[in-house]
Amino acid sequence: MLDSKLGIFGLLSDAGAVVLMVLSLLLSFSIISWAIIAFKFGYLRKSLQESKAFLDYFFDVYNVDKAFTESERFRNGSLPRVFRSGYIEYRALGNKGDVTQARARIARAVKREVNAEYKRLSTLVPFLATVGNTAPFIGLFGTVWGIMNSFHNIGLTQSASLAAVAPGISEALIATAAGLAAAIPAVIAYNYFTQQINIIERDLEEFSPEFVAAFINEP
Amino acid sequence: MKKDQKLMAAEKQFQLWLAAAAVMHAFILFLLLYLQMWGSAGHVKPKIVSVSLVSLPGSGGAGMHSESPGENSPPAAAEPAVKKPLPEKLPPVARKPVPVEPVKPVVVDKPVDINKALALLKQKVAQKTPPVAQPTSGSTLNKALADLQQKVKSNGRPGGTGSGEGRTGSFGSRSSGGKGSGTGGTADPYKAAITDIILQNWAFSKQLLKNSYGMNVYVRINILPDGTIRQIVFDKRAPSEYLNNSVKKALEKSSPLPALPKEAASRDVWIGFKFTPEGIE
Repeated sequence: MLDSKLGIFGLLSDAGAVVLMVLSLLLSFSIISWAIIAFKFGYLRKSLQESKAFLDYFFDVYNVDKAFTESERFRNGSLPRVFRSGYIEYRALGNKGDVTQARARIARAVKREVNAEYKRLSTLVPFLATVGNTAPFIGLFGTVWGIMNSFHNIGLTQSASLAAVAPGISEALIATAAGLAAAIPAVIAYNYFTQQINIIERDLEEFSPEFVAAFINEP
Repeated sequence: MKKDQKLMAAEKQFQLWLAAAAVMHAFILFLLLYLQMWGSAGHVKPKIVSVSLVSLPGSGGAGMHSESPGENSPPAAAEPAVKKPLPEKLPPVARKPVPVEPVKPVVVDKPVDINKALALLKQKVAQKTPPVAQPTSGSTLNKALADLQQKVKSNGRPGGTGSGEGRTGSFGSRSSGGKGSGTGGTADPYKAAITDIILQNWAFSKQLLKNSYGMNVYVRINILPDGTIRQIVFDKRAPSEYLNNSVKKALEKSSPLPALPKEAASRDVWIGFKFTPEGIE
């Protein structure tokens, strides 16, 4: 089916093992990248929206019990999660101990949750950076290998005509094209997700002390 | 426990996206394949005209047939039943002699091939002859065969010029006839064969030339009796070194050529070619 008439696929049918391996690797990179892009896009978008909605509610009511009850509706948001962990710690303390110690314990619980949330947000994102950085080089490796073989074949056939040179080089260049096709969306997505994560992280750092203060100063 | 459940749910969701991405890639690859198939189906390939340079021996000596009526034509009533004169079966190939050729080409006579061709010709004529015997068909056939043999004999002379009687025929009341003459040397099968070999070894693309004006290479080669090319002399070089080099490489690659025919095997021969972007003339 894949004869020489069918362009890229025709060329691939004549490609060497190394080039095919490189292309398979790049294909798997691309599949995983797109899965991460789709997964993370939904996750971060939801987290941002729910965090914003929870913050609005929190500053409206400024009541930790009501806010905790409302936070149950925002299970995917980062800020509601941090708030819930601080509230649970605050309720665990009860009325015992002094304020300074309670503040320290709540702050520690909030900090721990912020760290966990940051890890959760940035999971799988470094893979996109890896793909963005390495896929062009992997593709280039496939191209170099393909051209190397092509020149070797030219030497064997003792013909330097275009008909002898062009198919090998064309086949080899597919690897570079595949590398770029895998890398470009990965780099774009990585930059976008990094920006989104930075926004959420900034919110977490700014509003965590607010939450602690709200628990301590609860009327 | 809750966290584990959340983690598992997230993993499950990610696997779902992974499957979706794989399907998307498969779809894109399929789409690419389909587009290429569709594109290749719409692509119209140019016609390839295959021209064999090897012709029947002696065809070069065959006269150029003239269709002008009434010129030296015998009476129309003499051959009323002949529909197609036999000499038309011969390929009307008459090549120009190479201008720079210093030595007259050697004509190789192949009697076995001629006999075969004659036998084949007889068979075809016998098949085409209508079942009802015509009174003059036998004489026409004999005359045509005699003409053919005469032409073959005349071509057998090395470097000689052949001459052919114009065919005569009649279609109803109309008669046609003509005279023709050609150079027997151009139908040299040895030269045709080596031209074919050189063409096969000639790696050249016309599209790589910016313009084809004045792109002619006149070259002559000295061939030893065993077929080895001893010397390549460029009588005229083309402005393009690419064309010159391709010609030189083609000639070098073609050596050794087939051994010279027996008639010319005693000494080396010079054969000239004119290379143009369109081919060898």
